[in-house]
Amino acid sequence: MITTITVFFPLVGVLIMLLLGNADGRTVRNTALGVAAVPLLFVLYIYFVHGSNLDAPLLTQSFDWISSLGIGYRVGLDGLGFGMFFLTALLTLIAVVAAWDVQENLRQYFAILFVAELGMLGVFAAQDLILFYVFFEITLVPMYLLVGVWGDENRRRAATRFFIYTFFGSTVMVAGFLAFGILSGPNFSIEALQGGGELSRAAQIAIAAPILFGLLVKVPAVPLHSWLLDVYVSSPTSTNVVLSGILPKLGTYGLIKIAVPLLPAGVEPFLPLMAILGVVNIIYGAFVAFMQPDLKALVAYSSIGTLGFILLGIASGNTLGINGAVMQQVTHGLYSALLFILVGIIASRTGTRRIAELGGLAARMPWVGGLLALGALAAMGLPGLAVFVSEFMSIMGGYTTFPVQGVLAALGIVLGAVYILFMLQRTIFGPPNPATPVVAGDAGPTEMAAVVPLALLLVVLGIFPSLLINVQQPAVRLVAAAIGGS
Amino acid sequence: MEVTAGTFVALLPELVAFVFSIIVLMVGVFSPRTSGLTTGLAAFGSLATFAAAVLLLAARFEGSFFGGGYVVDDFALYFKLIIALSAFFAILGAARWSEQTGDAPEYLSLILSVALGSMLLVSMRDLFGVFVAIELATIPSYALVAFDRRRRESPEGGMKYLLTGMIASSVLLYGIVLVYGVSGSADLAQVALAFTGQLSPVALLGLVLLVSGFAFKVSAAPFHFWTPDAYQGAPTSAAAFLSVAPKAASFAILLRILLEGMPGAVETWTAVMAILAIVTMFVGNLLALRQRNVRRMLGYSSIAHSGYILVAFAALRGAGAETAVQAVLIYSAAYAVMNLGAFLVLDLVGEESKSFNGLFGTSPGIALCMTIFMAALVGIPPFSGFFGKAWVIAAGAQSGSIIAIVAVAALVINSVLSVPYYFGIIRNMFFEEATTGDIEPKGMGAAKFSVYALAVVTTLFALFVGPLAALAGASGLL
Repeated sequence: MITTITVFFPLVGVLIMLLLGNADGRTVRNTALGVAAVPLLFVLYIYFVHGSNLDAPLLTQSFDWISSLGIGYRVGLDGLGFGMFFLTALLTLIAVVAAWDVQENLRQYFAILFVAELGMLGVFAAQDLILFYVFFEITLVPMYLLVGVWGDENRRRAATRFFIYTFFGSTVMVAGFLAFGILSGPNFSIEALQGGGELSRAAQIAIAAPILFGLLVKVPAVPLHSWLLDVYVSSPTSTNVVLSGILPKLGTYGLIKIAVPLLPAGVEPFLPLMAILGVVNIIYGAFVAFMQPDLKALVAYSSIGTLGFILLGIASGNTLGINGAVMQQVTHGLYSALLFILVGIIASRTGTRRIAELGGLAARMPWVGGLLALGALAAMGLPGLAVFVSEFMSIMGGYTTFPVQGVLAALGIVLGAVYILFMLQRTIFGPPNPATPVVAGDAGPTEMAAVVPLALLLVVLGIFPSLLINVQQPAVRLVAAAIGGS
Repeated sequence: MEVTAGTFVALLPELVAFVFSIIVLMVGVFSPRTSGLTTGLAAFGSLATFAAAVLLLAARFEGSFFGGGYVVDDFALYFKLIIALSAFFAILGAARWSEQTGDAPEYLSLILSVALGSMLLVSMRDLFGVFVAIELATIPSYALVAFDRRRRESPEGGMKYLLTGMIASSVLLYGIVLVYGVSGSADLAQVALAFTGQLSPVALLGLVLLVSGFAFKVSAAPFHFWTPDAYQGAPTSAAAFLSVAPKAASFAILLRILLEGMPGAVETWTAVMAILAIVTMFVGNLLALRQRNVRRMLGYSSIAHSGYILVAFAALRGAGAETAVQAVLIYSAAYAVMNLGAFLVLDLVGEESKSFNGLFGTSPGIALCMTIFMAALVGIPPFSGFFGKAWVIAAGAQSGSIIAIVAVAALVINSVLSVPYYFGIIRNMFFEEATTGDIEPKGMGAAKFSVYALAVVTTLFALFVGPLAALAGASGLL
């Protein structure tokens, strides 16, 4: 029940936004802030009260929706989704704070953002394949509009490409879901379908292929990634937070929650390929990021790279690797949101995102420069910060199963260090570039409010990763057991 | 053959629609043309028709009449509900338009007549009865298309529709006659006895002509040519109604003929249907991509959607049969709400895709509704169209036949193909600047109400789909 309320609470926000009428910007922002805080409070309540037992009946809900096809409204939380459930609520709140560059149609912006939040929260709570898909797609039109209406001058093309690619992916995926559920009963309950039901290995492979394809487009895995750059670069900062922090995880979470445990025999032949795709993501992301003149594009490609560790961790099929993948979903969201917001702040102060035109930011904007360094070092996998823990687990897990890919992934970390350090050296250190004066000084209170929680979490989870791992561990063990890993 | 009180009960929805189509005409003669009285009466008549069908459904009224030629069952009543409700929204959508022309009563009466013919059609179990009911539904629709004499396109579209419609009717009649010749009866139960095993060439020809005749009626390719012209010419509310109600009725009766009259030839006609479906989907979508006129685009889109429904026909075998029947029923309902809505928006905004520019800024409510209709037509959940497509895909998977699965794959590809043209509208509404300082037309309260109501139903379709599926499951065609 609590889960359902949390998932659908953003609808209240949509309603309030539509009813606010001609309220001024300040009122709208404060109201949106209040609305966005509520799901986060619910999630924190769930964590502190039920964190040790997410199966509590208070958190789950299940009733028939279309009984003749075995489709039900089934929601509940487990260790696989909880971290992302939390992150969705957090990043939506931060996206509301970070919406300072959204000036026109502010009410509509927040209303659409809340619809997207509903979809995202729902994905991480759905325990039914069709319900999962419904929530999965609810995010699509809102993201399309957020980018297309409030993005920069290239927004229309970017939004359209994003939409067509991911819609194609998810349509292929749902065809797989439907075939799967129909041939198993019909039954679409994720719990009942664990292990693939009575399907033969051949049938599982035939069904797993479209599902994997659809999910990998969403991530995106590298040959399927061409929609990503435009849409990341064109989005307003606030949309970036959600777009990079949550949306790729709909894909990776689908792999962990659905593809692997529900179709173990079908996914198994694809695991080596997935490990290779992970490594390709890591290395390709690092190389292309290195070549980007634009700071935002650099962050976008760095994001592709770190998503590769998630794929590698999942492909490992063992507890360590999957644990790393599940945690990396959260840590990636934290650092990429942090970096995108900082890039937004830097662009607003200097009027440029070109790395070559920046320089000496640490001296001129100490807070922004310092946090940028923190976020970038986190992205690089610096020990002591949260990303290190999850990447390390993914690599170790991956190495156990696929030694070559594991070594290559570790090499990818080195490549990552190269472009990150190079970028830091040219932007925040070195002499200030006189051609790009910094106007309006360091980050203001609102901006600090958006970035400090993310930075703090990166540090806290880096020191106490058990805060997250303890919650996800039991569910991760089940997934690893399903696919025969240790 | 005896006519009892039960016969009149069985015909209750049709009788109500008939009486009101007469009343509207009569009152129209005497009442001032701008009073809105006739519109109110017609709307009330369609609601009363709907209520009559609900009543029969609630009373679990079933039976066959006129010597078995006319049947009332859940299946037929289900479609009568869709038809009556579509008529209601089309009549509301017609309100302003008919005020302008002063021809309102005839127009409204024609809509009720089409509804009447369509409702009779879904209950027919005799092939000649089928033909008569189809003509009853089609002849008034020629007049509806040609009704707007102020625009050149309207009579032109009406004429095209009339000519192709006549050919379609002849083809259909020829098919019926051949089937009759082979089986010695027009009664579906008797036909079923003759259509088993290896079909004789004459029987096969009869089947193909029959299906071709229906392909005209549901605008399946390659018999679709009339559709865009007719919809572009027709007054908006007429196009909305014709794209939904008579089409749903044609699908319903085709389903009944194939399942009750030709179960022995299932291998043959599922193959025919699969080919028809694949061609129709591609033709509809590829041609829709090229359109700048939204009304024409919706015309091609309706061809594509006929293709999607035909995929369910290809899956009508083996374990997939029951799901496939449900798919046709649910798709028809889902399509009715989203397509009626999309058409009715045209009267509020305009029919060139440019006229949608910047609508999000000028009238956000209508823009939101149109977004819902477009997303629903693409098949994005939680909107109604998704459930239609999901059921079709499920039926294909269940049937396990290769050709049905190929058709399902084509459906998936086509859903993606359709994104650019539906989302072109959304793009224009949200991303473009308004080109003209459009002022919303006045006196559109009723049409606006229709649009909003249909948007709500399209959005909350997920709540109705369970009961609808239960009803569809109980329809007892199998």
